Amino acid sequence: MSEPQHLLSILLLVPLLGCLAIACSPEGMARKMAIGFGSALFAVSAWLVAQFDLSRASEYQFVERLSWFKHPFPVEYFVGADGLSLSMVALTGFVTLMAILASTSIGNNRPRLYYSMLMLLTFSVLGVFISMDLLQFFIVYELELVPMYFLIAIWGGPRRSYAALKFLIYTFFGGVLMLASLVYMYSQMNASATFDMVKLASLTPLLPRDIQIMSCLGFFLAFIIKLPSFPFHTWLPDAHVEAPTPISMLLAGLLLKMGSYGLVRICLGFFPYFFIDYGPQIMALGAFNIVWAAAACLVQQDMKRIIALSSVSHMGFVLLGVASLSSGALNGAIFQMVSHGVISALLFFLVGAVYERTHTRQLAEIGGGLAKQMPTLFYFWMLGCMANLGLPGLSGFVAEVTIFYGAFTSPMAEWISKGGMVQGWIYLACTGVILTAGYMLWLLKKLFYGEELPKWKGHLHDATTTEKIVAYTLSFSILALGVYPAVLTRYYQPISDKMAAEAKEHIEIGFDTNQQQDPEKQVH
Amino acid sequence: MLPLDPSQLKWFVEHAGFIVAAPFLAGFLIIMGLRASKTMSMITSVSAVVYGLFHSIAIFQALVTKAYPEPFFQQNIDWFSSQAFTLSVGVLVDNLASLMLIVVTAVSLLVQIYTHGYMREDPGYSRFYAYLSLFTGSMLGLVVSTNLFQMYGFWELVGVCSYFLIGFWWYKESAAKACMKAFVVNRVGDFGFLIGILLFLMATKDFYQGGVLLGFVGSNGTDLASVIHKAAEANAITAGSLFVIACLIFMGPMAKSAQFPLHVWLPDAMEGPTPISALIHAATMVAAGIYLVARAYPIWLTPDGQMGPALTVVATVGAITAFMAATIAMSQNDIKRVLAWSTCSQLGYMFVGLGVGAFTGGIFHLFNHAFFKAMLFLCSGAVIHGLHGEQDIRNMGGLRKSMPITHFCFLIGTMAIAGFPLFSGFFSKDEIISGAMVNHPFIGWLMLITAGMTAFYMFRLYFLTFTGTYRGNAHPHESPAAMTWPLLVLSIPSMLTGYLGFNFANLQAALAGEHSEHGLPNHFASFVFGPSGPHFEGVNLTLMGTSIAIAVFGFAMAYLMYLTRTVHIARGFAEARSGVRQMLYNMSLNKWYMDDIYFGLVDRVFLPLFKRAWTLIDMVFVEGIVNGVGLLFVSAAEVLKYLQTGRGQSYALVIFLAVAGLAWIAYIFPIR
Repeated sequence: MSEPQHLLSILLLVPLLGCLAIACSPEGMARKMAIGFGSALFAVSAWLVAQFDLSRASEYQFVERLSWFKHPFPVEYFVGADGLSLSMVALTGFVTLMAILASTSIGNNRPRLYYSMLMLLTFSVLGVFISMDLLQFFIVYELELVPMYFLIAIWGGPRRSYAALKFLIYTFFGGVLMLASLVYMYSQMNASATFDMVKLASLTPLLPRDIQIMSCLGFFLAFIIKLPSFPFHTWLPDAHVEAPTPISMLLAGLLLKMGSYGLVRICLGFFPYFFIDYGPQIMALGAFNIVWAAAACLVQQDMKRIIALSSVSHMGFVLLGVASLSSGALNGAIFQMVSHGVISALLFFLVGAVYERTHTRQLAEIGGGLAKQMPTLFYFWMLGCMANLGLPGLSGFVAEVTIFYGAFTSPMAEWISKGGMVQGWIYLACTGVILTAGYMLWLLKKLFYGEELPKWKGHLHDATTTEKIVAYTLSFSILALGVYPAVLTRYYQPISDKMAAEAKEHIEIGFDTNQQQDPEKQVH
Repeated sequence: MLPLDPSQLKWFVEHAGFIVAAPFLAGFLIIMGLRASKTMSMITSVSAVVYGLFHSIAIFQALVTKAYPEPFFQQNIDWFSSQAFTLSVGVLVDNLASLMLIVVTAVSLLVQIYTHGYMREDPGYSRFYAYLSLFTGSMLGLVVSTNLFQMYGFWELVGVCSYFLIGFWWYKESAAKACMKAFVVNRVGDFGFLIGILLFLMATKDFYQGGVLLGFVGSNGTDLASVIHKAAEANAITAGSLFVIACLIFMGPMAKSAQFPLHVWLPDAMEGPTPISALIHAATMVAAGIYLVARAYPIWLTPDGQMGPALTVVATVGAITAFMAATIAMSQNDIKRVLAWSTCSQLGYMFVGLGVGAFTGGIFHLFNHAFFKAMLFLCSGAVIHGLHGEQDIRNMGGLRKSMPITHFCFLIGTMAIAGFPLFSGFFSKDEIISGAMVNHPFIGWLMLITAGMTAFYMFRLYFLTFTGTYRGNAHPHESPAAMTWPLLVLSIPSMLTGYLGFNFANLQAALAGEHSEHGLPNHFASFVFGPSGPHFEGVNLTLMGTSIAIAVFGFAMAYLMYLTRTVHIARGFAEARSGVRQMLYNMSLNKWYMDDIYFGLVDRVFLPLFKRAWTLIDMVFVEGIVNGVGLLFVSAAEVLKYLQTGRGQSYALVIFLAVAGLAWIAYIFPIR
């Protein structure tokens, strides 16, 4: 079977053309064109999935390379997709289309600019997932800031400029750190210096240990700011609360995944020693995120803030899974990226649907009993909440349980000197199971259960057709992924297995040297 | 017995997955569109479970007649695979599972028929059937689970169905609270269950070659007992660590089967519609805990397969619960709550059975209890229905005349649960108590006393509800046929199933004066565990006589206090204003203050403290430090204010310069 040419370029061109075409079209046409381009994007990503050769899932496919100049450093257009990229691309195509459909509330508020920005955002997100050149990766990673800043700052809520600026500063700070690391790494590689990510994945693990750790630090900080992780998570609730509904869907569904994708692809793929030396600490950070953010949800009064903080909690699972260096947990962490992308898109969409009707996000002002006038939305909410708290049969469960199982049987947890501590952090993470159930059900109760307030009588209405389409589509994907996760895992499983196996080789060296440094430990 | 030949029976065994799939499919279809028509929803849901019952009986027949010669049938698919481990989902059918399949499908079928009468007027009729179907599917999935992981999955699913159904009337504040409480308490149990599984997985993951990870049964030494044995030989597991694992996993059953101290959700779960209380919170779901312990029994033994401390924990928890719930049930006035506490108590009995080694007794009691307790709940539903929502037994009385069928069935159920001779509860309870007497005499005596209390509170309920004169204001009437027929059908097993677990040869031997602890096997035990199964009880005439006497004493007290009203002990307790009697009465009425303790801790202590701590830490430290860094830059930007005007740029520039400087320093002084 001959591989179709230029598929990835077409994929990148669709949103880029969309961005330009919508910007030049009349305001009235903007939404229709955006739906058209969104569908086209979805179709191309589906085509990509169909053409993907599963037997070579761990290799880059559809590779395209154009060199621009080579001196003093190489700059090129270099794209390709392996199973991991492919999963992310499919997620992007899907969530973007959903977000475009959900953008009804934008209405007449400069739709042309809005949809054009949205397309630019999609372009940069896609670029991140399929870049094979590190410099290009960095550029598109930073490019995403521009449309996102405006999307929040123009169409956001009352405190939008504060939130947009906070988002910008945090992410920009990360971006600069990443650039510093990038330059540092490049300079340390001497003759073999390159930005080719395939070559880098085989070369950088050979760098001296300290250099790996130094180089990784900037990348790691950049990605955990994006993820986001404690203590850099405070931009997220603000950004979410102010952002309009579809932008929240994109922010939680896709933008956070750029951080976790980078964590897997770059931090773990390039610098295994970083995880070997600091794995237990990173797992601790992940576990702490899970519990901290879940606990924070218990005291929030704003429903959107709760969902935003629950994202922090769920991305903690990714940290926990990636740092454990077990193929099972890594597999689960990648699953969590996709699963959380869909679940959080659904939840933010539902938050938006309630907000549009009640014009408040404060739980105390809503006062419960909404189920009376919004039964359909109530069921979708139930499904979303259940998926978020990890109900078996829905996608959240797959990720949680495999991360727990994997982390607990990982080399980290069985490491003689530090395993006990690692296990302790996993126990802590497990309490998240209770906390998540607590706040999700509490939220559901505050919104839908009980008697409805007199002020809502006859003022609310149930889901519209568009809302039903979006919610049904997202719900079905959550259900499908949860019932039979192999539909997704088969695309990237060889990659997670390979990465874990490579890390394991380094572990054998890494753990040995650790024990040599620690002679007392060997006596025991 | 079904007219099927062996090869057909074999087909049924090998396609047991259909039993699980049918109700799920029905539930899905109802949700996706059939809910528009009430009749269609009902028919779909009922026919799925009728099919399930038929299929289950065929499996049972295949296993009894040895048409399927193997001891078990197992089939798995890879649900999640990676290099480190593969999680499987599958279908396991053996004798124990086939019995549970029949119990679940039979009770579910009757409850679904009953629902048609009970919920006919409710606007959520179709939704109710959808949930019922989903629940039935999940419960059946739990029964046929092949491994601990799958069991955990379906375990949560039955829990969430229970959540939906308790909160079915979402507009009731009490229901909203109760469903959330049920789910969260169950999650606390599941937390222990999860950690237990993790520890168990860590210890045994290398010993499943050729079998299913965490699988219950398997050939070539991949069953649970052999895996634990192999792990113990390789020093991957010790008696101590297995004990810890068993205790952690037991947290799951403690929550699901409402055992002390995680029992608090069950009485509140009565906020759900009564058919649910019968199906989920009496007959099937709450028995899942017992089923899990029975299924994964080797975990609760010592690594070399002997009875150990973990089983003592099981028995102790069961005994405490049985006793505590019985004392509470004596003073409750809500008809459903009395039954709920009695469920709690009876589940305690089952755990005592498992814990003291009267293994078949525990399962046997589960089997009997499922039928008579479902019937009792359905009767209480009929009473509530007939009295238009009245649940307080102080406003009932004399219903014998207006509701004869309900009265008859309730009386049968009361006799069965109270342990009257020849009714089903008598046999299984006796087996448990005599087992306890052998290993833990104290628990045995406690269980005997509890049996007396059971007889007392059940007859108190019966007398207050059905005898005397009517004290309320409604117009009691008998229920429609859709509700009375299931009651009558359920009364048959309540009377007869006891004989399955009783071998009359043992009674004859005992009467002839031969004294033996281990008598001949009975039908039930030999079916569940094979002729060489763990434990068989002979007949101990003294014990049997004592337990009959105690049950009769309980009955007599209830008779004298609530029917003839010649003895006033109960009133004396209720009206005491001081002293020990008042204390005891309040303790019972207020459910041993467990709810107050929990809610007090959570609402008054934990949450406020947590809120304060959270505000402090997040607002001061996180925001403070991170914004403090920002402030640093802002102040730096203040200096640059005359050059730069835009705030964003000045932030960015300063950050950029700072980081570039750091990178430069790192470049000049590389760490070696």
